[in-house]
Amino acid sequence: MDLLVDRLDASIASNFRNKLIEIIKDGNTLIVLNLTNVTFVDSSGLGSIVSCLKTLGAKGDLTLCCIDERIMSMFRLTRMDRVFKIFNTEGEAIKNISHLTRL
Amino acid sequence: MLEKRIKLIIDSNLEDVQMVSNAINRLCTLGPLTDLEIFHIELAVVESVNNVIEHAYNNERGHEVEIIFTLYANRVTLDVCDMGMTMDDKLKNRIEKSPLEFDPTELNMLPERGLGLAIIHEVMDDVAYSSCHDKNTLTLTKRFIVHDTRR
Repeated sequence: MDLLVDRLDASIASNFRNKLIEIIKDGNTLIVLNLTNVTFVDSSGLGSIVSCLKTLGAKGDLTLCCIDERIMSMFRLTRMDRVFKIFNTEGEAIKNISHLTRL
Repeated sequence: MLEKRIKLIIDSNLEDVQMVSNAINRLCTLGPLTDLEIFHIELAVVESVNNVIEHAYNNERGHEVEIIFTLYANRVTLDVCDMGMTMDDKLKNRIEKSPLEFDPTELNMLPERGLGLAIIHEVMDDVAYSSCHDKNTLTLTKRFIVHDTRR
């Protein structure tokens, strides 16, 4: 899933979270979030991604890819780099998450 | 170097925060800061303004949020001011028990909210809060080293 917005911030975090949870509830439990276009994430935006990961729980997985180095620093600052599986490319992320379908 | 100062004012509307965010990013390029330091300052200001809108003004539009950017010879300061509710002790004390101290394997315990102040403290050198005559001010300071290139 490509995020087409350039900012994931407090002004859209709640809508983003609700949309993604809708997608999860429709049965999509293995999600790769491609952040290529995203140049800014604040704590509300980050919280919305965490919320989706918690909604998935043990039933699925949410991995991230193509994160700008500045946004990556935000993940490190908040220790969220220890929570999410983060890949440089979408291909690597899809390959990783594909393993889960075979388990 | 004489200090340089500019005041930005926006409405207490989360959709207007991006204007401050972009402006602060550009203003920071006036100082000898790296791209990452500028991004962190921008992030700290956004978190501060979001906190004002969400907590001081309870997400109510129609109030002013004032951001004063000052560039000194050895530091940049940002005063984020509001005339709303004072930051309560509960919020201030959150930082004493950092929300960043969590177990990454405990999915249900991961923090979804309340990271803003912790981020501000992580990226800025000094953070001070004051309330005077109904005006609340959060002052963020980032210091930098000035390299004298004169021979």
